[in-house]
Amino acid sequence: MTLLLLFLSLALALTYVVLRFRRPPVTAEKARPGRGQPQAMEEFAAELVPEVSVRREPPPAPAEGELPRRYGTDRLILMARDPAWLFAYWEVSAARQDDFGRVYGPQAWQESRPALRVYDVTGVDFDGGNAQRVFDIGLHEAADNWHINVGTPDHAFLVDLGRVLPDGRFITLLRSNLVQTPRAGLSDRTDEQWMWIEGLYRSLRYQVGTGSPLIVEEMAARAGEIPLNVSSPSFPGKER
Amino acid sequence: MPKGYLALVLHAHLPYVRHPEHENFLEERWLWEAITETYIPLLDVLQRLRADGIPYRLTVSLSPPLVSMLTDGLLQERYLRHLDRLQELAEKEEHRTYGSPAHVTALGYGRHLRHCRDFFCRYDRNLVRPFKELEDAGCLEIMTCAATHGYLPLMMVRPQAVRAQVETAVTTHRGHFGRDPRGIWLPECAYAPGVDQILREYGLKYFLTDTHGILYASHRPRFGVFAPIYCPSGVAAFGRDPESSRQVWSVREGYPGDYEYREYYRDIGFDLDYDYIRPYIHPDGIRVSTGFKYYRITGPHNHKEYYEPDRAREKAAVHAGNFMFNRQHQVEYLAGFMDRPVLIVAPYDAELFGHWWFEGPQWLEFLIRKLACDQKDLEMVTPSLYLERQPTNQVATPCSSSWGNKGYHEVWLCAANDWIYRHLHLAGDRMVELADERPFATGLEERALNQAGRELLLAQASDWAFIMSTGTMIPYAIRRTKEHLRNFLRLREEIKENRIDEGHLAHLEGRNNIFPHFDYRCYRTDRAAAH
Repeated sequence: MTLLLLFLSLALALTYVVLRFRRPPVTAEKARPGRGQPQAMEEFAAELVPEVSVRREPPPAPAEGELPRRYGTDRLILMARDPAWLFAYWEVSAARQDDFGRVYGPQAWQESRPALRVYDVTGVDFDGGNAQRVFDIGLHEAADNWHINVGTPDHAFLVDLGRVLPDGRFITLLRSNLVQTPRAGLSDRTDEQWMWIEGLYRSLRYQVGTGSPLIVEEMAARAGEIPLNVSSPSFPGKER
Repeated sequence: MPKGYLALVLHAHLPYVRHPEHENFLEERWLWEAITETYIPLLDVLQRLRADGIPYRLTVSLSPPLVSMLTDGLLQERYLRHLDRLQELAEKEEHRTYGSPAHVTALGYGRHLRHCRDFFCRYDRNLVRPFKELEDAGCLEIMTCAATHGYLPLMMVRPQAVRAQVETAVTTHRGHFGRDPRGIWLPECAYAPGVDQILREYGLKYFLTDTHGILYASHRPRFGVFAPIYCPSGVAAFGRDPESSRQVWSVREGYPGDYEYREYYRDIGFDLDYDYIRPYIHPDGIRVSTGFKYYRITGPHNHKEYYEPDRAREKAAVHAGNFMFNRQHQVEYLAGFMDRPVLIVAPYDAELFGHWWFEGPQWLEFLIRKLACDQKDLEMVTPSLYLERQPTNQVATPCSSSWGNKGYHEVWLCAANDWIYRHLHLAGDRMVELADERPFATGLEERALNQAGRELLLAQASDWAFIMSTGTMIPYAIRRTKEHLRNFLRLREEIKENRIDEGHLAHLEGRNNIFPHFDYRCYRTDRAAAH
């Protein structure tokens, strides 16, 4: 009896672990250069596990503890972190999920996979089909944020969060705001009345990131302690 | 006309840390240390220069949280109590070090602590007053900063949240200094296109960016960082000069690492016998810095020699001369490329001076004296004085940037802290919604709305995200972020359901009491039109 119980709980735990760490098959119809987040390519993972209905509520992240994980609003926010990276976070309300079920069938949610579709809309008035470049990122069911490597400074982006149906169709659930990655070098635009003077720039032996926050990081690495500073005061912390 | 201008800018900021619920709160010591080691020594220097008739123009940004803490009765009381303990320790140290090479340093600490008490009491415990005095005398230009040092580019999803940070800062500044701020220190020098338009709505004339903020602007800036540019909104952006930064900032090449200077990391709070030092560290027995440090940097290894104040002082004078010499050469070289005087903008964290670089205030004093007496190429200016003299500048939109590691926003948006934004943005949206719904709230409802706004502002402080990403004291930063957000969410719920718990509200008002005159209406969507 005990043995049986033990066996059963082990099997359950194993199923849970496999489910949790299973990565969705990558939706592959467009090129997806330079993704930053690790992407599992082992497609067999999907076949090895029996299909079980996926939890709608993602587990709360321990770091956030007492703050609500969900606020019941549909939102997909995109932020430009630096010339090469974007960050997106989202929340899909139960109502939106139900709508999806009504249109594509009650099983559609479980049978489809979440994905982000990233559009480079630099210089275009985006109408859904005229992006310069489009790529998809397959997501884990529980993911609610993603760091996206786009690799192109001074470009405009927006992303769609959607579901990829078994037949490969991408169904948009939410569309983000538009962001622009920062420039990573000198502008090509030189006004006619403003001359470009080479020598001026040669005198600039410039290296990005020599500001106060940096010195603080260096010192913290050296001593395991941060000196008093703008954003980083000095005492090793202790939760009381 | 001089060949060049030098704009020294010191940014003074500490996050709002005030815990009435604890007798001895570890993180409150940040403020005590900064007052004793940075603010009073800097004020000493500036007052001495003024008394000696040395002309100078210095720009200082005092962040609203810092101004609020410096004028808070409870924190002022606690600072005096902190001084009591340190002065007691200073007496013991004078005896303990008698006959040793550390004695002269110990005597110096005792003298300085007595002076801090005199100075603090002379201004009725309000250290904002001496800054204002120097501004009124025309020596200082005081800039403001975002209300709680919020990281503005990452708040631009909801521009109204940025407006509230800026409006609250401007109002607080006006209340304390009796005039509108002309410039704003963007927290972490973080800029994104669009921020400047909001600054203009509140009458701000200029801000600073890191070097590449100007260099990588939408159009190549003709004079690089050696002249400001105007954003299309008409607000001026000044770029940091990398050379003068490196000389002071760099851990390896910078002045503060000189072997004659005082070693920051050897403090008796960590070095001395536990029983001896116990009364002067945290009551829970956590060892902390006391400010009593007797060694000089000496060299790259662990072996340290005793600190010799006179030798360090000579070195500070040499470094001040070197800094000036380098700026003169820089100006000499650059003048050939420019049709106007070269402008060198050198911004630093104020807390670098005195606290981390013990001899920093002396260096600054030597530098200002030399600039005034020993040369004619360079003149000190403040950004607004420069704009008066050079009102015509190139127009371009600066590049989204910050002065953090790698130069963009990664420090404040990385795996360690990215989770905060889904909460901060939502709270911002909800606050705007509340303010739009109830523009004429009075009584208890108005109080609750105001406190909700305060909690949101406190949660937005860039300090928390920074601490999370740099890896020390993370629990405190997480706790503060969550605590203010939870307070906000609870207040919002109570306001929405018209069941405000007055007892709890009063508790929060007493505890998170920043900005006593805060007005939640700064979150109203149509607010911008009024400015």
